[in-house]
Amino acid sequence: MVDIILRINGATCTGSPEARKTLADFLREDLNLTGTHVGCEHGVCGACTVIVDGRAVRSCLMLAVQAAGSEVTTIEGLAPDGGLGPLQQAMWDSHSFQCGFCTPGFVMQAAAFLSDHPDADERQIREALAGNICRCTGYQSIIDGVLLAAERNRER
Amino acid sequence: MAAIAAERYTGASIKRSEDPRILTGAGRYVDDIKLPGMLHAAFVRSPMAHARVLSVDVSAARALPGVVAVLTGADLEAMTVPGPDALMALMGWAGPTPEFTLLATDRVRFVGDPVAVVIAESRYLAEDGCDLVEVEYDDLPPVANASFALDPGSPPLFANLGDNIARPHARSEFGDVSAAFASADRVIDFRIDVHRHQNAPMEGRGCVASYDAGSGVMTMHAATQSVHVSRIAVAMRLGIEPDKVRVLAGDIGGSFGLKIGASREELAVAAASRAVGQPVKWVEDRGENLAASGQAREESFDVRAAVSNDGDLLGLDVKMVIDTGAYPGMGAMVPAIMEAMLPGPYKLAALGFESTAAITNKASYVAYRGPWASETFVRERVLDLIAKDLGLDPVEIRLRNAAPRTDPPAVMITGRPLVGVTTRESLERVAQLVDIPAFRRRQAEARAQGRYLGVGVATFIEAAPGPRSPEGPSGPMGMESMRLRLEEDGIVALFTGQMPHGQSHQTTLAQIAADEFGVPFEQVRVVIGDSDVVPFGLTGGSRSATMTGGVALHGARQLKAKVLDFAAHLMEASAQDLLITDGNVWVRGDPASAIAVSEVARRAASGQFGADVDAKLEVEATFDGGEGGWSGGTHCAIVDIDVETGIVKVERYVAVEDCGALINPAVVEGQIRGGVAQGIGAVLLERSAYGEDGNFQSATFMDYLMPTACDVPRIEIEHLETVPLDADVNFRGVGEGGMIVAPPTVVNAIEDALSPFGVRIYEQHLPPARILELIAAVDPGRGG
Amino acid sequence: MKLPYVEYEAPTTVAEAVGLLAEHLDQASVLAGGQSLIPLLALRLARPAVLIDINGIHELSGVSATDGRVAIGAMTREYVAEESESVADTVPLLAAALPLIGHEAIRSRGTVGGSLAHADPAAELPAVARALDAEFVVRGQSGMRVIPAAEWFEGYLTTSRRPDELLVEVRFPAAGRGTGVSFQEVTRRHGDFAIVGLAASLTLSDGAISDARLAFAGMSDVPVRAAAAEELLAGERPSTELFDEAARRATRDVDPPADLHGSSDYRKTVAAVMVRRGLRAAADNARERQ
Repeated sequence: MVDIILRINGATCTGSPEARKTLADFLREDLNLTGTHVGCEHGVCGACTVIVDGRAVRSCLMLAVQAAGSEVTTIEGLAPDGGLGPLQQAMWDSHSFQCGFCTPGFVMQAAAFLSDHPDADERQIREALAGNICRCTGYQSIIDGVLLAAERNRER
Repeated sequence: MAAIAAERYTGASIKRSEDPRILTGAGRYVDDIKLPGMLHAAFVRSPMAHARVLSVDVSAARALPGVVAVLTGADLEAMTVPGPDALMALMGWAGPTPEFTLLATDRVRFVGDPVAVVIAESRYLAEDGCDLVEVEYDDLPPVANASFALDPGSPPLFANLGDNIARPHARSEFGDVSAAFASADRVIDFRIDVHRHQNAPMEGRGCVASYDAGSGVMTMHAATQSVHVSRIAVAMRLGIEPDKVRVLAGDIGGSFGLKIGASREELAVAAASRAVGQPVKWVEDRGENLAASGQAREESFDVRAAVSNDGDLLGLDVKMVIDTGAYPGMGAMVPAIMEAMLPGPYKLAALGFESTAAITNKASYVAYRGPWASETFVRERVLDLIAKDLGLDPVEIRLRNAAPRTDPPAVMITGRPLVGVTTRESLERVAQLVDIPAFRRRQAEARAQGRYLGVGVATFIEAAPGPRSPEGPSGPMGMESMRLRLEEDGIVALFTGQMPHGQSHQTTLAQIAADEFGVPFEQVRVVIGDSDVVPFGLTGGSRSATMTGGVALHGARQLKAKVLDFAAHLMEASAQDLLITDGNVWVRGDPASAIAVSEVARRAASGQFGADVDAKLEVEATFDGGEGGWSGGTHCAIVDIDVETGIVKVERYVAVEDCGALINPAVVEGQIRGGVAQGIGAVLLERSAYGEDGNFQSATFMDYLMPTACDVPRIEIEHLETVPLDADVNFRGVGEGGMIVAPPTVVNAIEDALSPFGVRIYEQHLPPARILELIAAVDPGRGG
Repeated sequence: MKLPYVEYEAPTTVAEAVGLLAEHLDQASVLAGGQSLIPLLALRLARPAVLIDINGIHELSGVSATDGRVAIGAMTREYVAEESESVADTVPLLAAALPLIGHEAIRSRGTVGGSLAHADPAAELPAVARALDAEFVVRGQSGMRVIPAAEWFEGYLTTSRRPDELLVEVRFPAAGRGTGVSFQEVTRRHGDFAIVGLAASLTLSDGAISDARLAFAGMSDVPVRAAAAEELLAGERPSTELFDEAARRATRDVDPPADLHGSSDYRKTVAAVMVRRGLRAAADNARERQ
């Protein structure tokens, strides 16, 4: 067991995970933040994407102990008070998702990408999200949600 | 036709009520469930395709701190009741059934076959325990594919079956097959192969089983397409009375046919929880999902087609072999559906069909979105091959062969009437949208520059739920039930056995009920996922739009009538003079009389009315599908092939679909696009790969490749004006269509792109290496 | 798919890390970005007794350009190298390859040193390192060694790093005047490993090729230079016929692996295509940079 302190969604958290425990499992099991989903455990599907120190990462490919001292944002913390932030709202308006299992990973990856590339076009958005797998939607509605969020952001 | 008052919701892309929780990580999937004292299961799985199990030594695993129990196949056999697969039994399977145990006992039959289960304090520890289980195997020659299975010399995989053939399907003939072939100008014959691929939902299978010894109740938190079918499956196998099993389901991360009933592993976990006296969770990881959850579509077809020189498809004679894998699944039932559907929306006058189902050392063949889909693949490939031989345009040959819309409707040679089928219209509309002549010019210019573009078209129908049968509804899927209740707080609650896993039923059913009953959308709640509370139902087969939409419509109407009868007492008016709009009951012509529906409900629940007043504001509604009907359409793909590398890009994709009246266009379009994406994946990327030695080769997402946002183009969708068939319920299902018709659409486009090389395609999986092989086979100077 | 039990060490200096490696040797795995190692652990294909997490050794990160080369600390994140102006200006072939590595989230954690120490022959960075004759700086009990790329890649996922050694830095030579580059790859999907990839660099001097580097990804158990093609190209003027012949020579004596994604013949065919396209693109790039 390794004692760690880190900040999750703006709050300081402590834990004592085994070194081998992934950040994904630590979030889900130790902190009861089950919004981050596990889809493959080998870094391909992107369902586990969270933001660590400002960068989108696959939480199944990080050990919890490696997040010690870091700022982690999960889907639960993306919008204040568990409401819907602008990206989430745009995705709701665009019927972006169906079963919802891939959703947290897509939202976090899109959020990270848009904050660095607010004027991305469709092709760039598709490439940025090509590392997240959705089985239900065929992606178009997700891309539309991201495009809508970007457009609304520019209008603000 | 009774008009729906204030038709505000139905037909509009109302935002989903599921989304606020989905978008904020507040969904509740089975792996999110935590119960006090909950333990975790992991399975020891066979690395061999076929072997005798000589010994299973669990002593070291049992001794590992944190491991609570280790159960072998023999242990589980002793604590469960043998029997058939519950879904097969439910669907009336009467054919030979292999006897199987939940975990392998004396024999393993595919790579991934579970041999033992370790129950521990965490999944990490359970897997550590699995590492310590020592299994001694004695390798047996694998029945590696269907041709091995069909060899009478191959040793039977199941002792109680004489051979490895699950369902020899005697030949059936429809129409005069020999006359059709005798009169044909030409007979073409070839073999078409569809490869093994699989559902691969983003969430795998899983459950949390919790047995309460005091009450004898087994509670299963499940990821399932039907809580009742799961309940029956668990009850049967565990020898528990069905009313002492409760199945709960929350959000489900996709399924596409995979999660129906209860798998061997889920049943083992349920039994284990009873044995250890604590809740046990099992959630499969991706390796298990790919290797062991089941696969689909591996079928081969020897096809003979009788053709006229003008392009009429006069007759088809098909011999099918389906590779059903090792343990029983619904694979053996698929050929019958294919036979029934093979004529499609065409004038096919003669069909001969026979099939064989082979048992092999692979994971089970399971239902995957449109399990019978290969009939469309075969038929739509045949039409294109004929068109090429005769120099006909692909749209032209389909228009020529399409059954006209007549009254009475044309009847498929296999029996079902093509009521309301708009194949011609969808073909013509696709041709307009795509402007194929303009494409041909662009194609020619591109070829001159060494670029290879192709266009492909395919058309389909699916029984969604199918036209009304003269014999009436049959089987457990023939009638849909729903309980509707006006709750004390004014909520209109719909209790349905539907178990959405992406279909958005909590939104679409509420739209219908809100319109029909007269309350705002937010005042309807769709209750799902508790077998103690919901009636029987199953989400699948593209039937819920009609069956459940219909029972919601009629049920809401019935509930409204009951509520108005009661309100009449409150308002001292005649029920006929009462309306419900916007959540208020009021007397026609007197808006000031309005009482909130919630107030009516409160009064009904207050108990102040005597026996002469029916204050129980609840109805049990059933619906048999009404006139039912088909969904269908025509899809078109344009592909761009790099013939030096074999990489195929789908440049454009157009779908013209007819699924009757739309409840929620965004939901419909999402279903179509998701199905098309799976079809593109099947052709270009996905293959569940087994070697000749039975070894499983696609056990991670690095080898089983799923289509991504860069692989699926924008899919342009147009809906056809529907042909209303029923007085009230003209919603038809759309869940499976995209996946049924996209593979032939894309393959037809690929063949068109490669036609300068003389390529003809008789298979569905076309990765880059295969594209080059196909070119080289015809044109050895090119390709690899 | 949970990781097996491991002991965990998190040294904060190179010396500490080397000490731990010397103690545990083959029983230890170095954890850098984790994007390759953690999947292996999750699949229980790798079972080290000890994980030595070097993410806390801050001296191992950084890009510095000195005369004639760029030195990249082994723990430099791939995204940092991707955003580095030094890399873009000085080692354009590396800059061309970096965006092709997986997806952004992978590059957030993956490291330049980690990828090169893992040495997947289908990965982009090993081909670049081999093409450019990069140098690998390791530190072990016996001190520092500098290993040229030709000697670094020994076999499938195997390098000449000794068990007690830590890769600390990789040095890439600066591209000279008139150098054009191209990284070509055939992937099943955007972001996937290359079925076949080619790192190409051409230097033009008075219109003739003064230096040609071609290194394949995915054609062997290590990245391989197409030496016969390079020899052919030296001193010649770019032309379609020359590049066609280079493609033939580059693939004449190869025996690439076969797997689910491509047969050996397929890889051979596509490798030739990569050479033609890569040389054309590198030549165009060279003219642009003149």
